[in-house]
Amino acid sequence: MHFPWIQRCSFTSTPTLLKRQKGGPKRDTRILLIRYFLHAPRTPRPLRLSRMRALRHWTIHRAYQLHKETLRKEQELELERMYYEMRKACEQLRTIGRDGLEGVEEEGKLFRVAMEKKGVWGGVPIEYARAQTEWPSREGWNSGWTWD
Amino acid sequence: MSAPKNSLKFLLGGNGRPINSSICRSCRKSISSRRQYASTAAAVAEAPESIHSPVTSSSPSTQLAYALRAGVVLSRPPQITRTLTPFEKSFFLYQKRLNERLSLPFTRYFYYRKGTPSEIDYKAKIKSRLTPARDIGRYNPYLDDGWNDEVLVGAQESEPEDVMEKLLGDVEVPVVNKFQGEQEQEKGRGDAVAARPAARETEADRTGDLRSLDRALERTLYLVVRDGKGRWGFPSDVLVGKESLHLAAERILVQTGGINMNTWVVGNAPVGYHEHKYPKYVAKGGVSQIGEKTFFMKARIMAGQANLEGNKLGVEDFQWLAKEEIPKVVDSFYWSQTRNMLSAR
Repeated sequence: MHFPWIQRCSFTSTPTLLKRQKGGPKRDTRILLIRYFLHAPRTPRPLRLSRMRALRHWTIHRAYQLHKETLRKEQELELERMYYEMRKACEQLRTIGRDGLEGVEEEGKLFRVAMEKKGVWGGVPIEYARAQTEWPSREGWNSGWTWD
Repeated sequence: MSAPKNSLKFLLGGNGRPINSSICRSCRKSISSRRQYASTAAAVAEAPESIHSPVTSSSPSTQLAYALRAGVVLSRPPQITRTLTPFEKSFFLYQKRLNERLSLPFTRYFYYRKGTPSEIDYKAKIKSRLTPARDIGRYNPYLDDGWNDEVLVGAQESEPEDVMEKLLGDVEVPVVNKFQGEQEQEKGRGDAVAARPAARETEADRTGDLRSLDRALERTLYLVVRDGKGRWGFPSDVLVGKESLHLAAERILVQTGGINMNTWVVGNAPVGYHEHKYPKYVAKGGVSQIGEKTFFMKARIMAGQANLEGNKLGVEDFQWLAKEEIPKVVDSFYWSQTRNMLSAR
């Protein structure tokens, strides 16, 4: 492969006079290479897009933004639906007693117990740390799990 | 002072029956005790009495009631990421190639020492794919046609399967003959073949096994059971004694699917609610039941499988269904009251 942009100056920091002496300090080539990376003039070329290409790029970008917005809205609506379902259930629980009717004995007791926060975070299983992956495991679901 | 007195009377009602029932008993009690603490003996004398007076029904012979039930929405979380749309796939490839156009060139000598087998291997690979990136297809932004980074319609470069094959093919290091300075790839590659991941569509998907937990890996699956009357629904049972919803949910899980399920009931509060009125009153335990109210608790399954052998709730069959499969088995009224608590994915 032809590289017309090869750096022509030396990437060594050793002064020339010192280099001429034979017993000069020996440098590790890796230092030279690291220096080469840090100061290489081959910075990325700026993206030069033609007029039509720039227009296409803008269209693609906007389409993706719209797509993300749609997904986000769907997710928000779903969370909202779940929240109001919980709220409805809790409100119902709050107003009923032991007989499932309003204004009877032990009214709201189930609700008060349900609102207990004690120990809620105590037993979160470690399996929740498992992230979703692009490909499933080869073993599949562990159906043979037993309690003891 | 007459205004607060009147409002308190209004809250408690004349005979103690709550007129404004949106205030729960505990709040009403605290209001009345505050009232007590503040002033007026008249209101004090009235309030505690009225709380303890019978309030259920005007006619004492028929005690009406709802059956209180707890239900469990046991779900298996999605195991794999969702399938990308064609637009997302091609957009990601587009972005990767733009990134390649903007990134610094790969410096081979820093990563590969000269004359080593890995360097020879790298040279052979870069010759075929033109770029250090392994997942963007055959493209080099430094060449003269570097501007041509868009793929044509129907190109395979953006497919996750293709990317996976490319990445694993790169891992399968060909056997390098150091002395000849050129690489020879074994014909029957044998051990050099990297193990491929399992397919996203499983055996249970192909056979349509609705009881398997290995199906529909990218969806949340819910446990739906059929009771003795042939009705499908989430497992549920009447609340026993003074147990809370959380305890009831744990009991129902064990009584339905046995103990060999690693489950976790998420919180103490219900996630959904289902009310069902009987066509006529059912006499039970000295009261006539109008209907039933079921409060659903959320639970997750981590391992194991349901086993209906010897279950105590009279469950006959079970299925693991995604959200849109549930209305095919449950009745429409039940579905209308439970659909909102389920996750779309």
